Amino acid sequence: MPRRRLIITGLVLVVISLLAAGCFHSDDEGNGNGQAAQTGTDGDTGEGQEGGSVFQQVQDRGEVVCGVNEAVPGFGVSTEGGEYEGFDIDYCRVIAAAVLGDPNAVSFSPLTAEQRFTALQSGEIDVLVRNTTFTSSRDGAEGARFLHTTYYDGQGMMVRADSEYQTLEDLNGATICVLSGTTTELNLETVFSAQGIEYSPLPFEENDPLQQAFIQGRCDAWTSDISQLAGVRSAWPENQGGPEGLRILEEIMSKEPLGPAVRDGDDQWADAVNWAVLSTILAEELGVTSENVDQMAEESQDPDVQRLLGAPVEGEPFDPGLGLDPDFAATVIREVGNYGEIFDRNIGTGSSLGLDRGLNALWTDGGLQYAPPYR
Amino acid sequence: MTFTGPRPKEPYQIPPGEEVEGPPVTARDPRAWAKENLFSSVLNTILTVVFGFVLAFLTYRFLRFVFVDAEWEIIQRNITNLMVFHFPREELWRVWAALFVLAASAGFGVGAAGTRRAVEIEEGRGVAPGRGMLLRRVAPLVLLVGVLLVAAGSLTATLLVLGVAATAIAFRLLGRRVPARYFRFVALGVLVGIVASYLVITAFGGVPRDDWGGLLLTAFLAVGGIVISFPIGVGLALGRRSSFPVIRLVCTLYIELIRGVPLITILFMSAFALGFFLPPGTERPSLVTRALVALVAFTAAYVAEVVRGGLQSVPRGQIEAAQALGLSPLKTTRLIVLPQALRAVIPALVGQFISLFKDTSLVFIVGLTELLAVAQSITKQPDFLAQGLFVETLLFVAFVYWAGSYWMSRESQRLEQRLGVGTR
Amino acid sequence: MRVLRWAFQAVFLFLVVAFLLYIWGNLTGNFERLGIRTDFRYLRQPAGFAIPDSDFRSSQSIFQALLQGAQNTAKVAFIGILLATLLGVIAGVARLSTNWLVRRTAALYVETFRNIPVLLIIIFLWSGLLQLPAIGEGREWLGLMSVSNRGIVVPWFERTGSVAVFLAVALVALLAAAAVWVWRTRRFDRTGEPPRRLRFAGGVFLAGLIVAFFLSGQPFTISLPETGRFGTTGGFRLATEYAALLIALVLYTGSHIAEIVRGAILAVHKGQTEASNALGLSGVQRLRYVVLPQAFRVSIPPMANQYLNLTKNSSLAVAIGYYELTRITGISISQGGPAPQAIFVLMLFYLMFSLFIALVTNLLNRKLEIPGR
Repeated sequence: MPRRRLIITGLVLVVISLLAAGCFHSDDEGNGNGQAAQTGTDGDTGEGQEGGSVFQQVQDRGEVVCGVNEAVPGFGVSTEGGEYEGFDIDYCRVIAAAVLGDPNAVSFSPLTAEQRFTALQSGEIDVLVRNTTFTSSRDGAEGARFLHTTYYDGQGMMVRADSEYQTLEDLNGATICVLSGTTTELNLETVFSAQGIEYSPLPFEENDPLQQAFIQGRCDAWTSDISQLAGVRSAWPENQGGPEGLRILEEIMSKEPLGPAVRDGDDQWADAVNWAVLSTILAEELGVTSENVDQMAEESQDPDVQRLLGAPVEGEPFDPGLGLDPDFAATVIREVGNYGEIFDRNIGTGSSLGLDRGLNALWTDGGLQYAPPYR
Repeated sequence: MTFTGPRPKEPYQIPPGEEVEGPPVTARDPRAWAKENLFSSVLNTILTVVFGFVLAFLTYRFLRFVFVDAEWEIIQRNITNLMVFHFPREELWRVWAALFVLAASAGFGVGAAGTRRAVEIEEGRGVAPGRGMLLRRVAPLVLLVGVLLVAAGSLTATLLVLGVAATAIAFRLLGRRVPARYFRFVALGVLVGIVASYLVITAFGGVPRDDWGGLLLTAFLAVGGIVISFPIGVGLALGRRSSFPVIRLVCTLYIELIRGVPLITILFMSAFALGFFLPPGTERPSLVTRALVALVAFTAAYVAEVVRGGLQSVPRGQIEAAQALGLSPLKTTRLIVLPQALRAVIPALVGQFISLFKDTSLVFIVGLTELLAVAQSITKQPDFLAQGLFVETLLFVAFVYWAGSYWMSRESQRLEQRLGVGTR
Repeated sequence: MRVLRWAFQAVFLFLVVAFLLYIWGNLTGNFERLGIRTDFRYLRQPAGFAIPDSDFRSSQSIFQALLQGAQNTAKVAFIGILLATLLGVIAGVARLSTNWLVRRTAALYVETFRNIPVLLIIIFLWSGLLQLPAIGEGREWLGLMSVSNRGIVVPWFERTGSVAVFLAVALVALLAAAAVWVWRTRRFDRTGEPPRRLRFAGGVFLAGLIVAFFLSGQPFTISLPETGRFGTTGGFRLATEYAALLIALVLYTGSHIAEIVRGAILAVHKGQTEASNALGLSGVQRLRYVVLPQAFRVSIPPMANQYLNLTKNSSLAVAIGYYELTRITGISISQGGPAPQAIFVLMLFYLMFSLFIALVTNLLNRKLEIPGR
């Protein structure tokens, strides 16, 4: 019997190898025989394909499935009661409010860094809002389409406050905790090997075991996006010294533009999500807040405001043809808030993270947040 | 079975009450016993002393931790979370109702099985059960329930558990009265009970399984996995031994492919990569469903191998005799081969289901909050954060798994003895 | 009837193939729409990430990274299998000991670890090992061994000179040892004197090694662990993650092997034991020469299953930070590798492991088979 199993296992291996060699390489010749016709019918854009745009699916379902983080305070955490909150979570709500008119019509799907792109590609989630860095290979090979950057970030290094490390060079020979499957894992290698610093990475799939390892001194430093580090720091346990027990080094190791991403090949959905996000920035530019939005919609004489909030100008509200309701921005701002409000509430000065706007200030204030005109 | 005439006697029978291993139960002079069992030679004396010290030290540390050092508050405060996690609290009565239904059907099944065995013994086919086995068998389960109740510390829960136990006993008595000609429907009845207990929770405005968590989810995945994977596994095993070469090839490929791959890859595929294989825009089943399917697909391959072993153990003469009697191949399989094959591999099957029970802990990697995931998440609560309480929570979870698995393996040992499998 | 049989099979085959083609069509269609490649070219992309405790450089390809991952998996599996077998055999024999306390201790071990999910054991051990003192406060013994939550470091050999000469001489020594082994066996067959093969052959090999060491100009020195600010340099380091994974797998699989060994020993006919008692063999002799050889024969197929399980269970290291095959596949997926292909490659790797284990245990099985049976 065992001998037969050997033969059979061998057979399985051979069959699979043949399949691999035969099928997977056949794409150069037009996908063999049967598939060419099948795949040929799919257009380049999402509209008009058999399954319909995600936009339509979301409206049929009455719910946006949003891939999120659940372990980064300020950006995405799940609370004890099973609720989610944070900056990224609010952007999921922004999308739901814009598309469905209800900020609570979201189903959150917590994902690890390693899982997120598979989940996005295969259609498990409609949109990924999970402090994800916009890079070329993700835009290309990963089949993701990145939309307006909601947070301009950089990679940093966090150490315990009582340690003597001031610069990256001090960390020569150190063990560094990092989330696997992130750009930070790659940047760490790039930056350290460029500077000739020896180190030993310790990879984790999730933040919780990483935190455990860091607390116990299994690693000397923790590298991640500065915003994430700030979030972790703000919620650092009191018995470990609280936020004061940690220090983020001043060096910035990389550019990390974080923003929502959708699947490639579905322009209608991408446009809708993008303008839902942009509307919050436009609103801040125009001074529309969740408090004054209804008043502004009725009373404002500024044509920019009138267009954005879908107030009727001479009987007919402005509709740019995104497929969203003309007053979608008003709903978004009323239910969730403008960019500044979302920022302050979750990660800015109104929160325990206390991050400065910095690069994320409006362009009028010297920052990078600049939305195209809504007209 | 429709045989008449003398039944073949089983070649080896264990005398009633004797165990395969274990100390003799006869009461003897303790000094003589110690001499024989602990100090029979110099080597044995050394071993006794060394092991005695090690064991005493470990026991001391363990007991000291459990009863003195451990802070069980985290378990006590989260006992509902550990049991059901975010299950809506106002619907909890449904879980209790389901427990009642489950207890009733289990009690009924056990009662009927007892009667059936009595009949078999009368006919000279079965082996009489050992005495005093019941308590030994269910001891882990009783211990588990006891610990859970102590952790819950609630009078209502205690009363309800007593009610569940009473229901089980009452239905056991009822089951004992099942007339012999209805035996074949008993398994069906138990199955209906399991399905009914599931429906009690979900049907009529209940809570869909996607909102389940904790031990409830673990139990659902384990029981659902067992119930569904068993027939599929039997089918695959028959397919692998089929006389149709094509079917044989397909089944063999499936079994060997699945068995060569770790479970987490299958879980990962079903949880995140399923969409690649479906037309775009297809609404797909929920994560819980897909995890269940992955577990079933995985376990079925292993069940198939176990059952195949049983099929091979059926003597060819049985099949030839059936053919001589003019039974069709289908009937031969159903009436002659399968009953004997399954009987021979019951212990191995139980072993497989114990693995499935333990393997449900892996679904936590794809983001479902079963028992282990809840245990990990409650250490993040503000009151318990970063206090090294993982020892308490993991120990608790380990105990729950241990009690469940140990109970099942005890049952399987009993079956092993009753069926005379694996002994010579 | 015959026609019907083939028709039935043809329909079945058609359904299976149609199903596979349907899935295949969906896969390629989805890939095309997303602009993901359907080939395996991603394997040649530079990896970009680092793998600690290895020679792997980030500029090497993802395929190289996977090979390194397979090597790390093999490192756990191979040593794990050896240790689990050892532990399992000891525990299995101990469960049938005449000593009550030994028997109960073994039963306690087996029944505890057999009934707990291995994932839980891995997490528990890892969390436990983290509780060891941090590197600054680590313990050291006589400068020989250092224990901290970074890992356990013991003295090890360090290469200082040319190894080629050493290896050549060592090879000669090995051949000489083999020759001695054969000679002792032949002699035993002829005269019946106790063969003492291990003692003779081992002595020759050891002597050969010592000669080789000095002949090649002492290519090794012993390197002692030295604790620095970030960890120890020198010596051989057993990293915490590796240790946790290995110990957990050994404890878990060992308890299963113990049950197999116990069953196999019980399956050895009682008459064999009685016969060896009648021959006046001691308890150890009876085990070594009569019971265990027969028991091993019975237990090889289930043991092979356990070895396979151990190898596959090493994938649970994703819960802690150890770079094995599954983890590296996960990273490659999140760095731009297409998930279906990557998982497909992962399956191939594990199938190869299965095949290898099946091969070895089969050889063993054939070697141990009773001739003429």
